Amino acid sequence: MPQEMIALLMFSTMLVLMITGQRVFGVIGVVAVVAALALWGTGGQAMGFSASMKLMKWYPMLTLPMFVFMGYVMSETRLAEDLYKMFHVWFGPVPGGLAIGTILLMVLISAMNGLSVAGMAIGSTIALPELLRRGYDKRMVTGVIQAGSSLGILIPPSVVLVLYAMIARAPVSQLWLAGVVPGLVMAGVFILYIAIRSWLNPSLAPPLSREERAGYSTADKMRLLGAGVLPLLIFASMMGPFIMGYTSLVEASVIGVAVTVLAALLKGRFTRQVFEVATRETLGISCMFMWIILAALSFGAVFDGLGAVKAIEGLFVDQLHLNPWTILILMQLSFLVMGMFLDDTAMLVIVAPLYVPLVARLDLGLPPDQVLIWYGVLYTITCQIAYLTPPFGYNLFLMRAFAPPEISMADIYRSVGPFVVLMVISLILVMVFPQIALWLPTSLSVK
Amino acid sequence: QAPIKWRMQTYAGAALGEHVVKPAVEAFNTIAQGQMEIELFYSDQLVPTAELFQAMQAGTIDCVQSDDDSMASPTEVTVFGGYFPLALRYSLDVPALFNKYGLKQIWEEEYAAVGVKHISAGSWDPCNFSTKKPLNSLKDLEGLRVFTFPTAGRFLTQFGVVPVTLPWEDVEVALQTGELDGLAWSGITEVYTVGWANVTDYFLTNNISGAWIGHFFANMERWNAVPPHLQKLLETCFEQSHYYRQHWYWAGEADLRINGGKLKLTTIPDEEWKTVEDAAVKFWDEIAAESEVKAKVVEVIKKYNDTMVKAGPPYRF
Amino acid sequence: MPRWSIAFVRFIDRLNYRVGRFAMYLLFVLMAILMWSTVTKAVSTPSLWTLEMAQFVMVAYYILGGPYSMQMGSHVRMDLIYARWDMRRKAWTDAFTVFALIIYLGVMLWGASDSLSYSLGLKWPDGSLLPEIGRLERSPTAWRPHLWPIKMVLFIGFLLMLLQSIAYLIRDIAIIRGKDF
Ligand code: NA
Ligand code: NA
Repeated sequence: MPQEMIALLMFSTMLVLMITGQRVFGVIGVVAVVAALALWGTGGQAMGFSASMKLMKWYPMLTLPMFVFMGYVMSETRLAEDLYKMFHVWFGPVPGGLAIGTILLMVLISAMNGLSVAGMAIGSTIALPELLRRGYDKRMVTGVIQAGSSLGILIPPSVVLVLYAMIARAPVSQLWLAGVVPGLVMAGVFILYIAIRSWLNPSLAPPLSREERAGYSTADKMRLLGAGVLPLLIFASMMGPFIMGYTSLVEASVIGVAVTVLAALLKGRFTRQVFEVATRETLGISCMFMWIILAALSFGAVFDGLGAVKAIEGLFVDQLHLNPWTILILMQLSFLVMGMFLDDTAMLVIVAPLYVPLVARLDLGLPPDQVLIWYGVLYTITCQIAYLTPPFGYNLFLMRAFAPPEISMADIYRSVGPFVVLMVISLILVMVFPQIALWLPTSLSVK
Repeated sequence: QAPIKWRMQTYAGAALGEHVVKPAVEAFNTIAQGQMEIELFYSDQLVPTAELFQAMQAGTIDCVQSDDDSMASPTEVTVFGGYFPLALRYSLDVPALFNKYGLKQIWEEEYAAVGVKHISAGSWDPCNFSTKKPLNSLKDLEGLRVFTFPTAGRFLTQFGVVPVTLPWEDVEVALQTGELDGLAWSGITEVYTVGWANVTDYFLTNNISGAWIGHFFANMERWNAVPPHLQKLLETCFEQSHYYRQHWYWAGEADLRINGGKLKLTTIPDEEWKTVEDAAVKFWDEIAAESEVKAKVVEVIKKYNDTMVKAGPPYRF
Repeated sequence: MPRWSIAFVRFIDRLNYRVGRFAMYLLFVLMAILMWSTVTKAVSTPSLWTLEMAQFVMVAYYILGGPYSMQMGSHVRMDLIYARWDMRRKAWTDAFTVFALIIYLGVMLWGASDSLSYSLGLKWPDGSLLPEIGRLERSPTAWRPHLWPIKMVLFIGFLLMLLQSIAYLIRDIAIIRGKDF
């Protein structure tokens, strides 16, 4: 069978099976092992298992359950409550201030955990009810929380960037540093949007009333600033020793867990219930990730071994004679489309073996070792968008689970529209000005 | 007739494979004129290195380039592959030992017994330390987390080194995430070629072995299915690739020490390094006590080194 | 539904629940190992075994936790259409597509059993039913742990996941016949 045909067949079978709603890991896995049995030749039956054994040696994956556990402890113990109050009091007086405060809250939460789940949980349990009570537009606030929490994967620590690092074989520390400025830029874009819309139409986001503002003295306000110390402490305890080279990434993640649990204990909120929920949900999410990666490793290796990777590379570069930027834009567009339907891990492990070598070969006017760092940031932003784009998006699902009944599914779908546009604008900014991502890692080059 | 297709996986990543194996595979494919084609895959690309031997035995992978040690071959000669501590001084020692001193025959027998064809043994570079902190004495080795070969690692633990084994492609990341303090994996040519020179600062000129032993292997049944003229061509192309590595590494090792610009050289004084050399000989005896075949190989190595020492310059200074 | 099939489903559910609850707590073993690694690195010579041991525990964590997480419904589905169906329609579809899981897990189990047998150096002497244990595979690291325990875990994990999938198949057939249990 021609190799292009194999590629097409494997992809289309997988997509059709996905639509039936069977579990993603099984769908990816079965296409891999059946293709190997049918087309590999001698020893094809062993291919699926052998390839997936790579996961056993992927040590940065050890951080995954740590960051997930941390996120759950943080949201279950409502550690972020005071933090929310701080932003609430300080930003309340301006139109849209609470929404802006929520974005800033999401930035800080993103600096403490590696996924968007914690941000979603904290945002929708603490911020959402308050915002709705104050008469904020429900579509605007659900959008704010979904978009804001997605920063969790762009601002370090980031599980998505760890996964990308493993697949692209790029240094995690550089990737994490590369995510900082684009994350802040994106937060800035969100804030700008909220400010402009609220200024044009203050009824969408009314400021706090005069009486309510009077309820907080200057002393209260200063005291609340103290709430900001905790996230900084957690972030510093993890990233400090890691960036300084005293601990490894994996060890840093455990320190992060320890500090978070300690903070929860000191506040007297680390109950049996919290322990049970955090432990159980961490297992659920970690297993979900790991089983998809297991299957996708088999898929990637079988796909590669059957020559499909080379066929596609040849098609893009040699046969179609596309220029590098066209290829890059096509890749991002395909990511955006796939992101509507696919889980981001599945997207990464399936497509990265194709795209990463291709990107490394493209002449985009950047040094080769920086191209993959920059591309990691582009990839992460497309994942953020994928979390928000219907029909399949994590944050959409989470929102549906967390939101009060007055917010309908239609509201949720509509709420993400403007934010998807803002994210695409950020994506284009980072594409056109790679220095937004590359400036920090190159100037802080850790050795 | 449809061409014979082989999948070959090397232990080396793409950057290094460009030099140490790709030219040989391309030469073979060209000369074979479509009768047979080898498709080359790099480190961990299809299966992880730890599973590589099993995959070759099962025929999942047809052909492998690796040392015995890092793919953990289930043979008595595994420990000698890669870097057997201080057994070799120069890269020419490898072909000399295999062809003139009889190691080739031992290897062929050992591998045939587990269903694998040993095609050819070749020599690579010496094994030096590249680290983030300077090594000026044996004391500096204490607590050092180092990426190295299993057997070299076993040997080095007595000096306080903590050997870490990772997928080859992850070493650069591990050096940056702090999982590793350095590596004892290759000579300076590879350190530069692979990009490790960008993430380490110092290079120790003392080596723990003067040459790496690596091989080309094939699944025995798949090998037997290849017609004799193509078997001969496979042997010839793989043998020829040894020649390229001889001069590529030999020239590179000297040149990059002087003109590399990224790594500062340090040296542990000869008198102090003598401790390591003496420990190596003790280590050889420990290994020899493990089995008859191992004893035989150690005896050959001892005999060879003895001859070289007695012969004097340029063999030993 | 035949009595044995109900008993089978109940047994598998309970077994995988127990195994999963055990695996769940391996998270803390993992944390302890990594903490130990952090501390020993700070105060003395770092240990040889921590990274590899952590990897083994991690593998056991997600492999043995797999079936329980399936019970919890953690494994994502592309449910844009699926979510809108009623229970019977879901059951009908799943009864077919669950073979994706069964085939995948079956082939993985095949690979795992080859790998386990390699790690134990199993040989079947002529005329003997039981294999002999031969050369034990060791990890190619300086610590050189035997690999059969972790390969055994992988084998058991894939087996349990396969059994859980078969249990789902039986349950789907029951739903189709209008007898949910
Ligand atoms: Na984050
Ligand atoms: Na989406």
